[in-house]
Amino acid sequence: MANLESPLAGKILEINMEIGQVVTEDDELIILEAMKMENPVFGSDGTVKEIKVKVGDKVEEGDILAVIE
Amino acid sequence: MGYAMHPYWKEMPPIGKELARELKKNIEEIKNAEAEVAKEVDRVKNNGKSTEKMNELGEMTAWQRLEYLVDPGTWCPLHTIYDPAKNEEGNTGVIDGLGKINGKWAVIIASNNKVMAGAWLNGQADNVLRITDIAKRLHIPLVWVLNCSGAKLMEQETLYPNRRGSGTPFFRHAELQKLGIPIIVGIYGTNPAGGGYHSISPTVLIAHKKANMAVGGAGIVGGMNPKGYVDDEAAEALINATRGMKTTPPGRVEIHHDVTGFFRDVCDTEEAVLDQIKKYMDAMPAYAPDFFRVADPAEPKFPTSDLYSLVPFNQKRVYAMDEVLARLFDNSEHMEFKPDYGIEMYCGLAKIDGYICGFIANNQGVLGADYPKYADYQGIGGKLYREGLIKMSEFVTFCGRDRIPVIWVQDTTGIDVGDTAEKQEMLGLGMSLIYSIEQTDNPMMTILLRKGTAAAHYVLGGPQANNNNAFTLGTATTEVYVMHGETAAAASYARRLVKDKDAGKSLEPTIAKMNDMIQEYFDKSRPAYCAKTGMVDEIVNYTDLRKYCQAFVGSVYQNPTSICAIHQQITPRVIKG
Repeated sequence: MANLESPLAGKILEINMEIGQVVTEDDELIILEAMKMENPVFGSDGTVKEIKVKVGDKVEEGDILAVIE
Repeated sequence: MGYAMHPYWKEMPPIGKELARELKKNIEEIKNAEAEVAKEVDRVKNNGKSTEKMNELGEMTAWQRLEYLVDPGTWCPLHTIYDPAKNEEGNTGVIDGLGKINGKWAVIIASNNKVMAGAWLNGQADNVLRITDIAKRLHIPLVWVLNCSGAKLMEQETLYPNRRGSGTPFFRHAELQKLGIPIIVGIYGTNPAGGGYHSISPTVLIAHKKANMAVGGAGIVGGMNPKGYVDDEAAEALINATRGMKTTPPGRVEIHHDVTGFFRDVCDTEEAVLDQIKKYMDAMPAYAPDFFRVADPAEPKFPTSDLYSLVPFNQKRVYAMDEVLARLFDNSEHMEFKPDYGIEMYCGLAKIDGYICGFIANNQGVLGADYPKYADYQGIGGKLYREGLIKMSEFVTFCGRDRIPVIWVQDTTGIDVGDTAEKQEMLGLGMSLIYSIEQTDNPMMTILLRKGTAAAHYVLGGPQANNNNAFTLGTATTEVYVMHGETAAAASYARRLVKDKDAGKSLEPTIAKMNDMIQEYFDKSRPAYCAKTGMVDEIVNYTDLRKYCQAFVGSVYQNPTSICAIHQQITPRVIKG
């Protein structure tokens, strides 16, 4: 089980995963808008167990965005 | 030949990894943008007389001459759609670029004989100065495929005089020869006046049998009119004189080969002129390629076509610069300079075709919570901070000492701003980098991969570095402006909005002006606009970027004026520690 943490404060722009989806470390799971740029958030290989945010949410650095098993 | 310091160069640390997946939408967007530029290139190529018509008249077009002259696969066109004067002809009347002729790199210029028989057009002198800057910077031969009917007389007041006018290239030719750079010219057609001086100013003159060159052409000789106006009598005299001159224009090969001896060779066919240029190129000075190589040439491990998925068309989307560089470097290997310091910048050594080359590039994306160290805000790639500016100055200085050419890969949004940044000497460090570049004498090339913005566009080896920058390439994702249109609109109209608001006026007119400004910034920063106005020297497809790197680096090492023995270079030792 690995938490997908936000690398920086910003706004959730895109969520490119669904619960149950198998993902890899190269997948851009979430796009986070911060400092006027769109920053991809990468996770680890595994299956998406939980998504804790939705598009438009504001998050802080270190917030848990999703859980990947 | 053996290779010096092979423990450093034979096998270097790897960079990059296999592409995870193709991004179809991104690929399509970039290829569409490349297709837009290709349309502009086709417009220039199809301008004037048709190729078929030219061939019927017994003439090859400039493009056909270049195709015959240049070694297959080596032509790297430059300034194809450059047109600073917005001519009705759509370009400056010359076609130029870098290419190999019988295995040696040369800067090549051809008169576009499809349009006004290769006349001087507005902007042509500047184009010629730009391309001959490259011969001067890279110290490689200049080859002219000349077919120049002289000035477009209807526009003489803007193209004939001035400091950087149509006469300046003749001084440039003299300057190149003074610097030991030979100029070969193959001469076709009628070359009076300006065309005559273009013909006579090179080092070696080769003529087609029907060519002529002269101080003044038949029209001038026959058309002297002392009355100050034209009447029927003068018109009749002109008709008779012109008919007479048509058959015997001044400065034919009978004069300038048989009498003056200016022409070294006279050739019966168009192709023979080009064959003769090739023979003279064989006589030009050049080191054998392996003399300066440090390893066998090798292609990158990953194809340049990956770039269409790796570089986001969406300018706000971040990406991994390492992956871009991995598609340019021989065998996708490198030695990075201070990777843990000034992390917004990549500085490192890599091989291009087996030659050492320095690379400086803007890393992209979030830089971590603790960077820049001096600020309570987070840093982001594309911006320049204190450490990155210091690191670049060091790296450029080392490369200058070691005679290592540098390729810059720009995607920058500017230098850090605000009092916190000012206290960290950003203004002084930016200028220090400009000084560091200027005090070296090594050739540089710039790839404007995406954004060239604010003063960072200058300090990152931009085209403004006239004495170092040989040329600058744009891509389908290039944007150049002093700041983003929205930022500029805010800077220009923020006070007006406040005044309008306080006065109870509608904000709409000001908002409309702001949006017009944003649109204008957008329109005037597109790739084709950048190439037409000279912000970049050519827009290049992603898949051709490495080819231009090879042309640049190969040219640098062909016949350098100054060298540093590989075993005396300090940059690789600094990196190794």
